[in-house]
Amino acid sequence: MRRSPWESWLAKYPALFAMIFLVIAISVNLILQPNLFEGDTLNSNMRVFLPMIILAVGQAVVILSGGIDISVGGIVSIVNAILATRVGLEGSPEKMWQFVFISILVGVGAGALNGFFISVLRLQPIITTYASGFLFAGIALFILPQPGGGIPSDISALYRTTRPLGLPLAFYIIGVLLLAWWYIRSSRYGRFIYAVGGKAEAAYETAVPVTLVQFSTYVISGLMAALSGIAITMLVGSGNAEIGSQMTLNSITAVVIGGTAMSGGIGGVVGPIIGAITLGLIQNIISFANIDTWWTTFVNASIIVAALAAPGLVSLFGRRRS
Amino acid sequence: MTLSAQNIIKRYGGVVALSDGNLDVFPGEVVALIGANGSGKSTLSKVINGVVVLDGGQLLLDEKPVNFSSPQAAKDLGISTVFQELSLIPQMSVAENIWLAREPLLVGGLVNKKAVWSQTEELLSLFEGTYKSKLKPDSVVGSLPPDEKQIIEILKAVSFNPRILILDEATASLDSRQVQRLFELVQKWKQEGKAIVFISHRMEEIFQIADRYSVLRNGKTVGAGLMSDINERALVNLMIEEASVFNHARKNQASLDAANKDVLLNIEDLKTDVLKGVSLSLREGELLGIGGLMGQGQRDLLLALFGDIPHSGKISLKGKLVHFHHPKDAIKQEIALVPGDRAKEGLLYIRSILENMLLPSWREYGFPLRIRSAQKDATRVSSSLSLKMSGLDAPVSSLSGGNAQKVVIGKWLKRKPQLLLLDDPTKGVDVGTKAEFYNLLTQLCEEGKTIIFYSSDDEELIGLCDRVLVMHDGVIRTELSGEKLNKQNLIAASLGSVNGSEL
Repeated sequence: MRRSPWESWLAKYPALFAMIFLVIAISVNLILQPNLFEGDTLNSNMRVFLPMIILAVGQAVVILSGGIDISVGGIVSIVNAILATRVGLEGSPEKMWQFVFISILVGVGAGALNGFFISVLRLQPIITTYASGFLFAGIALFILPQPGGGIPSDISALYRTTRPLGLPLAFYIIGVLLLAWWYIRSSRYGRFIYAVGGKAEAAYETAVPVTLVQFSTYVISGLMAALSGIAITMLVGSGNAEIGSQMTLNSITAVVIGGTAMSGGIGGVVGPIIGAITLGLIQNIISFANIDTWWTTFVNASIIVAALAAPGLVSLFGRRRS
Repeated sequence: MTLSAQNIIKRYGGVVALSDGNLDVFPGEVVALIGANGSGKSTLSKVINGVVVLDGGQLLLDEKPVNFSSPQAAKDLGISTVFQELSLIPQMSVAENIWLAREPLLVGGLVNKKAVWSQTEELLSLFEGTYKSKLKPDSVVGSLPPDEKQIIEILKAVSFNPRILILDEATASLDSRQVQRLFELVQKWKQEGKAIVFISHRMEEIFQIADRYSVLRNGKTVGAGLMSDINERALVNLMIEEASVFNHARKNQASLDAANKDVLLNIEDLKTDVLKGVSLSLREGELLGIGGLMGQGQRDLLLALFGDIPHSGKISLKGKLVHFHHPKDAIKQEIALVPGDRAKEGLLYIRSILENMLLPSWREYGFPLRIRSAQKDATRVSSSLSLKMSGLDAPVSSLSGGNAQKVVIGKWLKRKPQLLLLDDPTKGVDVGTKAEFYNLLTQLCEEGKTIIFYSSDDEELIGLCDRVLVMHDGVIRTELSGEKLNKQNLIAASLGSVNGSEL
């Protein structure tokens, strides 16, 4: 197999392109919002970005192992619907934490369902999670047909204003995510994820438990989607069963910007985190520039199409030259 | 540990790959497994390392019968293989690949990177000085040249510290220095009591390294003994079938007459990634054979002629210079390719015979398609090929290998090509259909069609062609014709002797 230098470059520095994107996005943002790095602004931005960061991490793990999870938005919606209807605006903190726990179980269960179909029954990831995503979105609508409900405002405030040592809460959570990823990456399991995403047949011949690894990545993705749903619910404080529907495409875009190859085996989690922040900043820029919000979707979609087409275009032009 | 394979039988569908395969492996010894293309060498090695399950016969390990259900089971018993198709993951580093699923761990499940690094460096030092680029434990495998990938594959197999090491064409992509280093290592491993099964097409290597030989011919072990008791000529004779089942008596008369005809195709200095400058010329009505070991550039030659891969050099067709950028350019010039992997490139397996047969010609049938006349044409072609089928609507997957191949040819015959490129068309085809197929080729030549015929079956080439070009390492090594075109010369030329008569 021949590979372009671009590919081996990406293999070494997967987060490089995300960094370049981030610097550009920050620069433009600074012009529009000079106080970007001041405590309050930073916190209010980061708390908005966090749900997407968490979601992108889960998506990255799946894509690294050669799959894709299009059902994550549906899981976010279910979690939001559960919390908004079961806890309620007047609910007690105990009730909140109880349903946070249940939400996590729901996310893991949804991921396990995807994982079973894809790794054990060997169905196509893209079709399976597209279908299960509709199932999850439907369940969310069943739980919460009309936007409404919510969680107590003091719990919401906990998420919105907590700033240990003056730094946004989101930084600490990102730190935990990076630590967890570092552990996975340095363990045998991490190697398995890369091996399965790189060349599953060769991994199988080398005694890597391919089925189990694939299954586990969907469970991780389901778990991260649930955590993302909890975060976004605490951010907005209210319920809307369609809240996750916009998030799936963005999570994939964040992974792609983050230098993680859609074909699997190349990249990491750092790039997607940076990618998610970049996407949030782009959204900021658009809202500051007073352009219609549909530009956000347009820009995101353009990024993903360009990122997906780039390797193909490179090899096409390479072929022309020879 | 001794391993003994006795009377091994292995069938793939209807094709018998091994009918009586035998091999004894003793510690501290190198045994060479020898045979021509398709004699069953690779199958026998795959039986020994558990990749395929045998259909008959038995494997004895230290005189106890064993059954390997997976490559892993064989590995656990100390049998490790260097595969021809590499088992490496291109996106991962050298160290990660070698130790995958066996990484040394620290407390808490973390991979002991220091140990991985030093153990990998230790392994790499075995081949130190023979590789060009800066090969480090953290080099990404996909960015390495083929010879270094092969070295990593060898090191991966060695890292299991096996008691039996199978080297299946492991030297094919190594240069001479690397081969010498490998042989020094093999000598060392022998002294440590390891057994090595050495599979190679290169005669000189076999004589250099092997202690014993075992020769396979048509899936049967036909001879075994000490290397010191045999010479190259005797070994080649063992590989050649004495009483040939090939009885295609009708030598192509048209091809013999072709010397008086016009030159149809002239190629000068054709180069691709694999081809290193091929020149040949071909007259109308000729049936030109291309021979040699598999993967020496034969396929590239055909694909380049068909405009399927980028190439440089001069190709002139009927005296006019042409350069095909796409197969459709070649098809327009009435060239047809019967690809090697018919399941992948030649046929839509689940679709009907009719659809497959008319695939290149549908636009002649207008809109909406005139199905009646299409059926009539397809019936005519299939009866001219004496295609055995239940009906035109039956899916191609219901046909035998030989009949499926006829559909591939049929789909081009319909377009009346002047030049047919055949890429090993009789692979996996039964003997009866082969004979029909040979008649068809002869008949086509007599009708004035020109054919370039690559075959991995040497007897086919000798029986059908008047002239055979033997390819080796991307160039035409030898041209054999007339008296000189015999099995012995063909095999000798394939194995790298410049002139067959040297043997």
